[in-house]
Amino acid sequence: MNENRNWKKSLGNIADSFSQPLVAVLISLLLGAVVIIICGENVFTAYGAMIRGAFGNSFYINDTLKRATPIIMGGLAVCIAWRSGYEAMGGEGQMILGAFCSALIAYYLPLPGVLRVIVAIIAAAVAGALYSAFSGWLYERFEVTFIISTLMMNYIANNFASYMTNYVVKDPTALDVNAIQTGKIEAGARIPAIFSGSVHWGFVFALIAVAITYFLFKKTTFGYKSRMNGLNARFALYGGINARRMLYLVLILSGMMAGLGGAFEALGSKYRYIDQMIFTTGYAWSGMVAALLANFNPIGTAVASILLAGLSTGGSAMQRSTIIPVEVCNMIEGIITLLMSVRLIRIAQRNHKSRKAWKEVGKA
Amino acid sequence: MIFEMRNIVKMYDNLCANDNVSLHLNRGEILAIVGENGAGKSTIMKILYGLVKPTSGEIYVNGKLMHFRTPSDAMAAGIGMVQQHFMLFEQMTVAENIVFKNEIHKGPFMDMKKTIETVQALSDKYQLKIDPRAKIADCPVGLRQRVEILKVLYQSAEIIIFDEPSAVLTPLEVDALLETMKQLAAAGKSIVIITHKLQEVMNVSDRVYVMRQGKVVAERMTRDTNMEELAYLMVGRQIVNSDIKPIEATRTLLETKGLRFIEDGREVLKGIDIHVNAGEIVGIAGVSGNGQSELINCITGLAKSSAGQVLVQGKDVTNRPVREIRNAGLAHVSEDRYVWGSATEGMLEENTLMCREDQQPFSKKGLIHQKKIREYARKLISDFGVKASSSTQKMRELSGGNAQKLIVAREMSLDTPVLICCEPTRGVDIGAMEAIHERMIERREKGAAVLLVSSELTEIMSLSDRIYVIYEGRINGEFKRNSMDDKRLGLLMVGGSIENE
Repeated sequence: MNENRNWKKSLGNIADSFSQPLVAVLISLLLGAVVIIICGENVFTAYGAMIRGAFGNSFYINDTLKRATPIIMGGLAVCIAWRSGYEAMGGEGQMILGAFCSALIAYYLPLPGVLRVIVAIIAAAVAGALYSAFSGWLYERFEVTFIISTLMMNYIANNFASYMTNYVVKDPTALDVNAIQTGKIEAGARIPAIFSGSVHWGFVFALIAVAITYFLFKKTTFGYKSRMNGLNARFALYGGINARRMLYLVLILSGMMAGLGGAFEALGSKYRYIDQMIFTTGYAWSGMVAALLANFNPIGTAVASILLAGLSTGGSAMQRSTIIPVEVCNMIEGIITLLMSVRLIRIAQRNHKSRKAWKEVGKA
Repeated sequence: MIFEMRNIVKMYDNLCANDNVSLHLNRGEILAIVGENGAGKSTIMKILYGLVKPTSGEIYVNGKLMHFRTPSDAMAAGIGMVQQHFMLFEQMTVAENIVFKNEIHKGPFMDMKKTIETVQALSDKYQLKIDPRAKIADCPVGLRQRVEILKVLYQSAEIIIFDEPSAVLTPLEVDALLETMKQLAAAGKSIVIITHKLQEVMNVSDRVYVMRQGKVVAERMTRDTNMEELAYLMVGRQIVNSDIKPIEATRTLLETKGLRFIEDGREVLKGIDIHVNAGEIVGIAGVSGNGQSELINCITGLAKSSAGQVLVQGKDVTNRPVREIRNAGLAHVSEDRYVWGSATEGMLEENTLMCREDQQPFSKKGLIHQKKIREYARKLISDFGVKASSSTQKMRELSGGNAQKLIVAREMSLDTPVLICCEPTRGVDIGAMEAIHERMIERREKGAAVLLVSSELTEIMSLSDRIYVIYEGRINGEFKRNSMDDKRLGLLMVGGSIENE
């Protein structure tokens, strides 16, 4: 009809999809400010210290980007799965297996350095993909909800890696007997820094993964099919999209992303697998928040991931230069998560409804 | 007269669900309210039960004007409802369910012994046999309904409403239920039964109201009427449109042989044999819920049949994946445009792409060609006169009629030899309806086999060359164009039979 009205409408749509994340971030920053005031610090001093500590100089920026790398990958994993209607939350477990496998291969495999890195990265992707596909099988075979199966599988992965690190592959050369970690990967088998003192290549790989995901979403029939599957699983079935194939393709891709995130962290940042290293840092969860903030847009997810990473690195800096503890930053992220989870629940409900179609049709 | 409703009007936005309905109920009487789905009979009962507030009109119980705001108000006035879908706690006993909300207490605890005694006494009084200690989860459907009835009796209801009570029962259980109703009436209770099953009405009721399109169109004493007349009143007079040129039907393009389907242990399709020839529109008439949806789902691959065959252009596609069946030459306008037929949050061009996303020129080797997709969407929008501002607008922004036109456009443009149209004009305005009908006839004239499922008899009778009547999962009759009349059709639709068919 009227071009002008149309334009306004689409602006309205864009505003709609931005308003909720924006409000969530603003509310959490406001509540953070309240806590800062209660602690007796000037809000601007505290937040200023935080921003400087996250993006203030090249050292801090690189630190933030290093931290953002696994978050981006975890975020992409969520984007791929959720956009297709599978509310999988197994990014953490897949990332742990990715980190653990790659750390072992890079440490033990008797191959020349570069080759070893490549094999380690591929192994991480495969481990994440298989682990993720397993939750798909549980769903298809026993109708186990993704939320339950993937959350539980996170614990299994973490405890498995923990056991192995404790009793089987513990670093034999560690000086500190209390350090529960695998052997340190030698310099040649790591993901190197882009240039001296900078973030490692894993960050670049993550950006490439963002571009690939974006391309998949926008330019391929896979992107179309998975989007239709996510918007209305019944419509996809009715149109003849192979639901089973979609399920596994999507979960494998999603698991690969998370697994790779683990490998980048192990090979590029820690140079080993340290017990609980993915679990306590919450990379996968930050990734999920980022994906939700960006409404499953891969590029937006990358931006949100970097900001969330900045919240942590900046928080540590704030703790050093003001009396505000880093916990305030955790609180801010917690509030964002809480507010965004409204969206999460809505999506899960919608998926649950439209996926009853699976039952009706039987499993192809 | 135990209750009376005077001039009840209920509007939902612009839709009139009840149009000046007046009815009354006498003590100890079994009153039936019959009508097709959507005739407004459930709405009127929901108003009586306090679930829905009427837009205007008055309700009197025992001569007193009532204002029900909630079901508890209605309950307090002695009106109880036996729901179509039982509301029982599976893990609790029969007795616990019956006394729920009015428990018998001993101090702070429930007095189990007395509860069971009371329930047993109630059961004896009305000769409704149950075991108060049995768990609901272990009770068959008929027993659960009995528990529902006892629940209502326990709350000392004088008026008991049954909403489609036999829908979930086996024939034996239905007999038992009708017997129960007679006993209750003999014990002085007044009973209202809402149904579209005329056999039951004839068997059990004293008096009948027939509803159609929100109005009470007739009131009869059961002894003065018969099934044929009721069916005729329910369905209303239909006009047969004979403008369509007959086409010599030749090749069979779609065929089912002994198609059966089981859902939750219940056989919903009991061996369906139909065929549709090239150049023919075949209608399936029936009160909705008699297996139409399941039949179409089994044909199109959205449900797995338990026995029988589906042939598209002679090719056996029974229980094959949806895409394979579609590729064998079938397109399908689904019965619900938002549940199955579209993605409401998707753009129009995404909705029109469905089924063609793997075809050239829309994609090549998995890469999509956005420009072609957009052009195609725009072409469908203009060809079928869909009122839309752009191909990137969301499906949910279209009005119902335009959304339906777009779905019809997509399926018809697939240009398949077989076209299935389920409720193709449900909820659309006259203009869109005519446009869709024209397109269907056009497809027929081009030699397609069109299968039309509709709960609108007018639609079926004006478009079809041939009509199958479906009743409780069986084909209950077959007619040729012009050899049918609405009276007999109505009778077949409610399970009657015609001697010389």
